[in-house]
Amino acid sequence: MFKKALAFRIWLFVFIVGPVLLLVLSALTSYSILRSGPIQVEFDALSILLDEIFIQAFLTSLKFAGYVTVISLLIGYPVAYTLSQSKSPYKRLYILALIVPVWSNMLLRIIAFEKLFYPDSILNLLGIQLDLIGTDLAIVIGMTSIYLPFMIFPIYAVLEKLDSRVLEAASDLYAHPFKRFWYVILPLSAGGIISGVLMTALPAMTTFALPERLSAGNTILLGNLIENYVMRTAQVDVASVIALGLLILMIGFYRVLLRFDAEGETLV
Amino acid sequence: MHLIDINHLTKTFDDTRALDDVSFYIDENEFITLLGPSGCGKTTLLRILGGFETPDAGSVSLSGQDILTVPAFEREVNTVFQHYALFPHLNVYDNVAFGLKMKKMAPDVIADKVSKALKMVRLGSLSKRRIQQLSGGQKQRVAIARAIVNEPKVLLLDEPLAALDLKLRQDMQYELKELQRNLGITFIYVTHDQEEALTMSDTIVVMNEGHILQIGTPVDIYNEPKTKFVAHFIGESNIIPAVMNADYRVTFEGHTFTCVDHGFETNQPVSVVIRPEDITLKQEEGIINGVVDAITFKGVHYEIIVYVNDKEYVIHSIHPQEVGTSVSLHFDAEAIHVMADV
Repeated sequence: MFKKALAFRIWLFVFIVGPVLLLVLSALTSYSILRSGPIQVEFDALSILLDEIFIQAFLTSLKFAGYVTVISLLIGYPVAYTLSQSKSPYKRLYILALIVPVWSNMLLRIIAFEKLFYPDSILNLLGIQLDLIGTDLAIVIGMTSIYLPFMIFPIYAVLEKLDSRVLEAASDLYAHPFKRFWYVILPLSAGGIISGVLMTALPAMTTFALPERLSAGNTILLGNLIENYVMRTAQVDVASVIALGLLILMIGFYRVLLRFDAEGETLV
Repeated sequence: MHLIDINHLTKTFDDTRALDDVSFYIDENEFITLLGPSGCGKTTLLRILGGFETPDAGSVSLSGQDILTVPAFEREVNTVFQHYALFPHLNVYDNVAFGLKMKKMAPDVIADKVSKALKMVRLGSLSKRRIQQLSGGQKQRVAIARAIVNEPKVLLLDEPLAALDLKLRQDMQYELKELQRNLGITFIYVTHDQEEALTMSDTIVVMNEGHILQIGTPVDIYNEPKTKFVAHFIGESNIIPAVMNADYRVTFEGHTFTCVDHGFETNQPVSVVIRPEDITLKQEEGIINGVVDAITFKGVHYEIIVYVNDKEYVIHSIHPQEVGTSVSLHFDAEAIHVMADV
């Protein structure tokens, strides 16, 4: 028991606490993994938070995360609801069909979309010609297809566990199907909706490969900004500030989630 | 006119026949109990009345109106569910108010009715409690208040006390009966507990394997069971193979006894039921003699097992007997109840 806990602590330290400490060091001091030398506290890199390029990327990220979350919820809730009510013998197969894409490499799926969105694509064989690369629509379609399962599963998990007798009680007490949905099913699945929204919105905020491929480099999200500062301009301290900011944002969101979902039962 | 008429109801699930051509009626203000072992069809019948199942054949009318085509949310019938089925996201008050809100009643009328209903089930002070903070008995009371607040013509109760402990169950039996008298609502009560059925009901409907075996008052059902199944199910019984020689004459254990039953064919094979509390034991030779095999103290009485010609008799007595004692069995003519073998 203790040994397992020890192994976990080592793992936790090496792969989580350590990197976060490096992030903090890199963001707020003169420390750099690229150079050696004395370490001093420095706040220069924080100025990125007021830089127009950051604010622009932040707002763009928010916009796309917002689109994708709303669309995923509008598609995902009915899908989750239908699945949970289904008595089809193929139910497991349908669920599998939703999971399998999650198992395949995300980059491959993004590149597949990229190929389809250029005017010359395999779709020409069907007489379809798309020219979406560089448009917001391309990014929204790509993101939605990737993050939709993360919306569906937490909602499905909650709806699947709904006590059918509670629904019968609602009918018994004069709630016709729409009212029953509005006053009973929807409030009882709120935990799943919140989980789904967070599990869709947070990754959508930080993705970088997808906008890079599908916008041909025209759309800059926070993830792209971080990548740029690390890989192209070697400003690891600036990248660290952005990453740290995102981390704090996520912890904030996570606390919101915990408040609504104390047992974590809706997290898949 | 009857309040509810049930005609030829049949319902099959996969290959089990839950209800097989069931017909009976229910009067206004009646406390009627559907009694039977699990799988006898009693819950299916209740669910059909509530609107949660559709029968394969048959009809149900309430005050002369066919209700099978009316969806559950429009029926003037409310249900107290077996495991309460309270709304977990609402507090006590909002649970009870739910039906009235769905009917779009004025808020002040709702407030008034809810507080009356909560008072009736003695939960007046807990209206703001969350459901998760209630005990089993309190949850049960909320479930009852949530149903009766709508003033339905008929209240359906699906084993509402099954999850409660013995003491609480007995208290609630009494309270439910009181409530039914005060409200003047017809109660249709489903249970597998024969004692509960005998205590509360005006009428008991005994069911098994989708059929109605007997309908009657608790006293009738207890004293005059029509079949072996009913005799066994309603309390402990001694069931003895016998032959009906003539009216008022029945032979069993090698002797002929006078009884109060008549109307059988001459020499028809029958079964005789004698309730354990109707037999007295004497430590002297008698007509039926046996040996005490076991004795168990049951609180109010002793349960004594006596072997007569290798056949087991159960006797309830306030007088203990030593194991191994030779005894004779005595009973009145009225204690002998004759049933046709089915």
